[in-house]
Amino acid sequence: MSTTTIDKLDSAETFGQQAFERLLLKRIDPTWLTAKRKEAWEIFQSLDWPNPRDENWMRSDIRGLKLSKFAPNLDESVEISQAAPVRLLEGVEVSASVRSINGVVVGESLNPTLAAKGVVVGSLSRCARDHSAIVEKYLHSLICPKSDRFAALQTAMWSDGFFVYVPRNVRLELPIHLHASMGDGQVDLSHTLIVLEQGAEATVLFESSSPDTASHGFHCGGVELIQHGNSHLRYVSLQDWGKGCWQFAHQRASVGRDSQLQWTVAAMGSRFAQVDQRVELVEPGARSQVNGVMFTQDRQHLVYNTLQHHIAPNCISDFLYKSVLQDSSRTVWRGMIKVSQGAQKTDGYQRNDNLLLSDTARADSIPGLEINADDVRCTHGSTSGRVDEELIFYAQSRGFTRSEAIRMIVTGFFQQIFDRITIQSVREALGAAIARQVRQYE
Amino acid sequence: MKETAKMSEFHYVCPREQIRPAQPQTFEVDERFVVLVEIDGQVHCIEDMCTHDGGTLGDGHLDGACLVCPRHGAKFDVRTGKAVCMPATEDTPSHTVKIDSGKIYVALSD
Repeated sequence: MSTTTIDKLDSAETFGQQAFERLLLKRIDPTWLTAKRKEAWEIFQSLDWPNPRDENWMRSDIRGLKLSKFAPNLDESVEISQAAPVRLLEGVEVSASVRSINGVVVGESLNPTLAAKGVVVGSLSRCARDHSAIVEKYLHSLICPKSDRFAALQTAMWSDGFFVYVPRNVRLELPIHLHASMGDGQVDLSHTLIVLEQGAEATVLFESSSPDTASHGFHCGGVELIQHGNSHLRYVSLQDWGKGCWQFAHQRASVGRDSQLQWTVAAMGSRFAQVDQRVELVEPGARSQVNGVMFTQDRQHLVYNTLQHHIAPNCISDFLYKSVLQDSSRTVWRGMIKVSQGAQKTDGYQRNDNLLLSDTARADSIPGLEINADDVRCTHGSTSGRVDEELIFYAQSRGFTRSEAIRMIVTGFFQQIFDRITIQSVREALGAAIARQVRQYE
Repeated sequence: MKETAKMSEFHYVCPREQIRPAQPQTFEVDERFVVLVEIDGQVHCIEDMCTHDGGTLGDGHLDGACLVCPRHGAKFDVRTGKAVCMPATEDTPSHTVKIDSGKIYVALSD
């Protein structure tokens, strides 16, 4: 129980100048990285926190975020007992795995055969030293610290994270597993950087979670997926932070010539999440498919701002987000297809469907188009509605309870997404996660 | 419902004298945001949310007993939470206020 008057969101001393200087002293970063951090810190200090007048933050309420309750993990020491359960690994053999706790990598492994081929998988901090030239070239190349104050904070103070590099024409048969866990009341400022060179292929399963569903925490993270020509990346992200966590994330992908990206997003956890997701199709023939699943409950508030940016001609993008909401939860999806001048023969599609299981849930869906070329096909759509009572009645007439009927309808609602997911363990993990969340409705 | 709110559900908000006539103030109560307004000597409390766009109401101005959303002009009766002007069509939650020994307490509705 708490009652407070409203003040401006304050970064407090925990994310102040002293903390930043301590971080620089503690870290063993290459010179270029320290310079990059300092530059981002200047930007952080010059910016204000996002406010409701900003278009992307108009439907976001972050007044409840008390940054003074959180502190960056400057000592890089964590308790292994804070690790959260893993969901995507059931029955899956992996080629590499990396796990972090509170934004610091605590374990990494890579099949030696792949290492011999030049594949790099591991701690981003370590790789920034051991593979400095590659990391310097790509790190924060897609995320601009000027995007907003959270992006600047993350660029300046990222603690550690995950680095995956697949060299030219190397194809990974088995997936890579990345796991970020965050203890109760802790902070995760991790960053994920994945680079696929020409002709490379990989599947990456990323999951973030807390030790228990009620955990609090502050995650301010970044994801950058960079694909060169003819590469193929399947990236699965399961967000299952505790229901007291705040999540702020900038997620970017750059897809090169004739490359394919299949990006599956499942957002189940956190009290509040604001995700800025952008896919740039930068060379002809690039294809991207993004499948999003959101399932919210209680007073969760998840905001996804997506952009599918067609920079080059003859590219295809296909975004499908589906949300199920119960209790007094809320989702906001703002999707934009942007077609640059000269990006002719673009084929862009976006859709957002919302299923509301209660009177007090709310889904805001705002699809948009910005087209600057005259020979394109761009379509978008959105639906929001309650569970069809006739469907429930029919199921009940066949012997199912009302609760069973609603579960079936929810499962069926997500089926279109499940059908697009080619990895069985991911389908099963998502199905199980959703089944756990559906309330008993009678 | 107001009469049946239990003592344990009430959260202390502020001293009574902090709320002045026709000056809406926003508070965080149990991880939710509410607006307190005094109208005709009575203190009322509604959710700090415009049901039109889901944004905040606390920066709005009063028009009689109605709080006007600062973005699109929707109006909510602060005594009941009722939406009385487009573009809002749904009521915003109204919360129970109790004043005891010069202190304001609020019981949140679901």
